Formats: sequence, C-alpha cells, structure tokens
Amino acid sequence: MKKFLLFLGVALCATFVVNEASAQIKAGENGQVSIALESNSSYYLEDKTLEDIGLIMPDKRIRGNFGSNDYLKVDYNTGKFSAGVQVEGYLPGLYGYDFYEYQQRDSKLTAFITKYVQWEDQNWGVRLGDIYDQFGNGLIFRTYEDRALAFNNALAGARAYYNFNNMVNVKVVAGMPRLYDSRTKNAIFGADLSLSLSDMIGWYNGMLALEGSYVGRYQNNVQEVSYLTEQKLLNMVSGRLNFETAGFTLRGEYVQKLNEDVFNPSLPAAKGNVISVDLGYNYKRFSASATFRRQENMTTPSVMVPMGNGGGNMINYVPLLTRQHTYSLANLNPYRGSSVHTGGEIGGQLDLYYSLRNPKVRNKYWNFHANFSMFNTVNHLNAYTGEEMKGRNVWLDANFDVERQWNKQLKTTFLYSFQRWDEEINHFDSPEAHYCASHIFVGDVTYKINKKHSLRFEAQYLASNNYEGDWVAASIEYNFAPKFSFYVSDMWNCEKMDDGMYGNDYTSLETWESDHYLLHYYQVGASFTHNSLRAQLSYGRNRAGYVCSGGVCRFQPAYTGLNLAITLSF
Amino acid sequence: MKKLMFLMFALVMGFSASAQTLPDVKIENQEGKVVSIREVIDGTPMIISFWSTTCKPCIMELNAINNNLPDWLEEVNMKVVAVSVDDARTVSRARAMTQGQGWDEYTCLYDKNQDLKRAMNVSLTPHTFIVDGNGNIVYSHSGYTPGSEEELFEKIKALK
Repeated sequence: MKKFLLFLGVALCATFVVNEASAQIKAGENGQVSIALESNSSYYLEDKTLEDIGLIMPDKRIRGNFGSNDYLKVDYNTGKFSAGVQVEGYLPGLYGYDFYEYQQRDSKLTAFITKYVQWEDQNWGVRLGDIYDQFGNGLIFRTYEDRALAFNNALAGARAYYNFNNMVNVKVVAGMPRLYDSRTKNAIFGADLSLSLSDMIGWYNGMLALEGSYVGRYQNNVQEVSYLTEQKLLNMVSGRLNFETAGFTLRGEYVQKLNEDVFNPSLPAAKGNVISVDLGYNYKRFSASATFRRQENMTTPSVMVPMGNGGGNMINYVPLLTRQHTYSLANLNPYRGSSVHTGGEIGGQLDLYYSLRNPKVRNKYWNFHANFSMFNTVNHLNAYTGEEMKGRNVWLDANFDVERQWNKQLKTTFLYSFQRWDEEINHFDSPEAHYCASHIFVGDVTYKINKKHSLRFEAQYLASNNYEGDWVAASIEYNFAPKFSFYVSDMWNCEKMDDGMYGNDYTSLETWESDHYLLHYYQVGASFTHNSLRAQLSYGRNRAGYVCSGGVCRFQPAYTGLNLAITLSF
Repeated sequence: MKKLMFLMFALVMGFSASAQTLPDVKIENQEGKVVSIREVIDGTPMIISFWSTTCKPCIMELNAINNNLPDWLEEVNMKVVAVSVDDARTVSRARAMTQGQGWDEYTCLYDKNQDLKRAMNVSLTPHTFIVDGNGNIVYSHSGYTPGSEEELFEKIKALK
C-alpha cells in the first residue's frame, strides 16, 4: 500500500514537472508533451464465506492483501518526430493476471519500461524501440497491449514502411518480443506487402486489394525444447484479398506455417494453417456481417518452452469470435476456446442489425440486433491417449436484443441469449461431451429525469438445468452528469445444484457439496469524472470466472475487496 | 490519501487547459483504406469519440449525440468522428453496427491495432475529444453519464 502511494506520488510529481515543461515547450512552439496515467488497485479483504468453501486465492499468504497495476506514459512530439516512454509498475500485480503468474523474478515488486522514437513522413515512416503492429488481421503477427489482461508483447526492434501513391505499401519489422517482465532471446522478423489494385486501375467505386505477409521466428532456446522439435526457424506466410463495393464486403485470408511448431507441449508439433472469410453487407438501415474461420495449430508462442508459459506468450492473434457480452449474467460462462487442448477449431458467427426510425425524429427508434455463433473442434489425435478424436460441437449461442428509445426521457433494452457449451472441453480433451446450457433474459431501463440527472435499472435472470443452476442479478445506477455516478448491484446464484459436477475451477473436491452455489456477489461503487480524470472506487465480492478482452480470456479468482481505478491524461 | 486526492485535483484543475494537436497516425476509413487522422481536419470543429462494440457506455454516448445532432447543427457547424478501437475480432461487427445504428452523419474510422488510441493517450473508452477547425485538441473527457453530451455541445459552442 505504501509502495502504491509512493508510486502515485512519484507519478503525479512527474506529471506535474512534465506538464510545466510542456507548457514551456508549447510556448516556444517546439513540440508538445502528453501524459497519461492509469492505475488499478485492489485491497483484498478477509471473506470467511469464500474461505469456508475453499474459494481462497492460492497464494494470498505469500503476496499479501494489496495489488496494483500502474501505467505512466509520456510522449513528446514535434512535427514529424515523436518519442515516448511507458513505465509499468506492478506493486505487486493484481491477482488473476498471467503477468504475475509467469513473471521471471521472485520479487513482489515489478517494473517494466517500454520506449520508442519515431519519424512519420508523408509516404514513409520509421520507428525504433518497442513496436506495436499487425499484418492483416494479425493471424501471423500482432504485437499489442491490452491492460485488461496485463498483456503486452511489443517487439523491441525496428519497423519501417513505404507507401507508393497509395498503390503499393511495403512494411518490414524485426525485433525481440516481450514476454511478461522480460525480453525473449528469440528474433521475430517479417515483411508485409499490400497492392491496391483499385488504385492501380483507377477504379474508385470500390476497393480491391491483394496482400501478402511473411513472418519468421528464430529460436535460440532449441536445446531446451529439442524433444518438441529440432526446428530453429519457423516460417509463416499469409495471403489476403480485400474487396468492397456498393455496401458489399469480402475479406479472405489464408495462412500457412511452413514448419512444425507447438504451443501446448502435450500436443504434437505440427504445421498450422488458417482459412478465414469475412462477408459484410449493408443496405440503408440494415447490415449483416458473417465470419467463417477454420484454424489448426495456429497458436504461435514467442518462446517454445516445456511449460507452455501462459497466454502472454504469443506473437500472433487468433481471437475467439463469439460475441462478448456486456451484461454480467450473459458473460458468466463465456466461450474460451478449445484449441489449447485439441489444437484447432472450426466455426463461424453471424450478426444482423436493423434500425427502424424516421430520420427526422431522432428521439424515437427501434434498434434490432441478432447474433448467432457456433464452434466445433477439428478431427485430431488426443494428446494424452493417442486416441482418434472426431470433431464435435463445443459452443453454440444465439442472441437477440432490441433497444427502444421511446422519447427524450426513456430508453429500454431487452436481451435474450441462449448459450450451450461442452464443459468437458474446458478441462480435458474427453471423448464424451457434457453439454451445459443457459437461457439469459435481461431488461435495462434508462430514465433521464432532467438534463443532468438520470437513473438506470437493470434486471437479469439466467435459467439453467445444469452447471451452476439459476442466477438472478439486478443493479441500480444514479448519474449526475457529467461528474458523478453511483451504483449498487447484486448477482445471486439462487438455485443449488445437487450434483455440483461442474462448479468452479477453484473449488476443491470436498466442498462440491457445499452451499457455495447460493452466494451473493454484491458491488457498490462511485465514479468521479472531471475532464480527462476519471476515478472509480468500488467495494464488493467478485465471482471466480473468466474475464475476456478482445477475444482473449484470463481467469480471475474470487475475492472480496476494495478497488480503486484512476485514469488521467493531458 | 486526502492530501493526495487534493493534489491530484489541483493538478487537473491547473493543467487541463493546455492544447495539443492531433497526432499524425494512420487509420482505416469506412471503405477499409488507410488514411491519416489529420485528413479529418477541414476547418470544422469536431467531436472525436473513441468507442468499441463491447463498450456499452460508448454506444450510449454516440446514440445520445446522434439524437441531439440535428438540433446542434442548427446552432453551430460541427461534425462527429467515431473512432472504433475494435481489433480484427470485432471490426466487422463495428462496421456493421455503424450502419445499423443510423449514425448517418458520422465519419467512422477504425483503429484496429489501437495506434491512434495509444498516440492520443486514451486509457479507457469512452473517451471524447473536442478538436477545433485547425486540429487543436481543446477539451477531453473520459467516461459517459447520460446528459454529459450537453457539456460537449457547450464546449463546441464556446469555440466560436
């Protein structure tokens, strides 16, 4: 806690000094400085109820009652030149992030610094330092940061690109990827070429582009993993087609790994591939988007290690394509993929949007949205038994939501979601599926009392005959625009399941019969916003479960505690 | 803790007035072409709003602005730039959604690898900027509560 206050103090002082300096610089028109601070902290409190049923965090006694993930970012820009630095402090890190579980050092406190210099000209650009970039959809290469997952795989290296008359765009990158709080010794290098055929032939009613990429990973630790593969160099290629005209869009990509690679050391080394097709159509107020994707052995680690090394060990991006819900019960058991156990996945999703409205009357409309997705495993050999496994359905969902703006004051939303998943595949590659299903109903009402005051009420029900049984949830939010907001919510597992076969990952055998299915997960919180400062303080009990961001999930253990989140930028 | 909050408050009050200009960052437009964000600068004051398909308050804010836009346009000349920070996973959904929500007057841009988000130091969405006709950032606000769009309009009006 002291460390956190110290960090916050130092960060604020730095913010102050740099801001003073930036005011000076600005006065001389020599450039500008911008600063951003983000801090997420939790104070973990004793919760006898959680402890009695075995839902305690595994290493709480070692790491203490306090956790904080903090980021301070400072950028300087003058004309075409810019430079920046980001300091990350984990004091120690919050529970439930791979970053902390897999960090290289034993110390409680971790800091990491990323930095860059960059020159951005009209048709070309160069960047040295930490590189964030992606080729196409990122299926063979993507480096990015996601603080909700404490994920950052920036390449320490260089990037350059050149654009010729918008017709030809060439980009090259090379560097060493970041793995949690260290740099790997492996080298990643790649090139991306994009040809805009429509610009070449002078067709301006649409867009047609052909793209291709190559990415190589040179592995220095091959001794350590020689039983997985002897291969030092992994080569990957990707070809893409993007077409768009008159409301119709087609994007296709094919990816092939030219050498064997392995992410989960229990699975055999194999050559991976992906085929992905994205179709879009829109006409007036109607739009549709459909995605199909088949992938096999495409999870590509920055470092091949016997232990696997968690979700942060990645140089490409093969996200889950299912809808990420914003309502808590609809998000209770999200799809978290099957390829970790089985190596592959085939499936797709469909989105339909329609808005019924009179363009002249803005305060009255209906927005309809339907969404459907389905994912299966592919035929494969069981990693543990060698048995031949047939592909089977592991996820199916159908969602329908309608939003109605009645007048200036009142807005209502209704959501229905059906979700069915194979609980077995979440744990092992079992030959028999065990399907669990839920029906989720959500009602959401926002009432604007006047220009500044508004009230939001949300009620949710989850009906299920298996897994954890029925849940009910409600929340009330009162807003004083634009500065204050207060909320109270509760999520209650109201039905006890006798078999209790498929409970939480953190529930031990003896406690399966216990009453933990009847727990309340309550939250109370307030937020304050002034310009770009936002501070949110909340207290409550959090359920153990998967927190997903951008199609990547992390496991959050259950806890009761106090959270403070601050973001600030200049 | 109180002192700290006070210090922070003082800092925010004292230094939020400093102006920045839009950085030169490449971003995809509605047709999927890569353009510079600076191309939106055309002398018209604008609201730039960062949103994503998984951010409910973002969509509420953009809908609220859309509801008010015809009234606002009667008083001032302005435009709205909606920057989606959806990545490859949800960017098609974001493109479909901008069509299906009736955001007809919006300039929709897609920041697939969050380059612009990073360059403009956006930590949380929604994050909204007011930018004058010359590309100077004059105000920014993070988070959304119903009714806070009025504040954006006041700031735009104050630009005249």
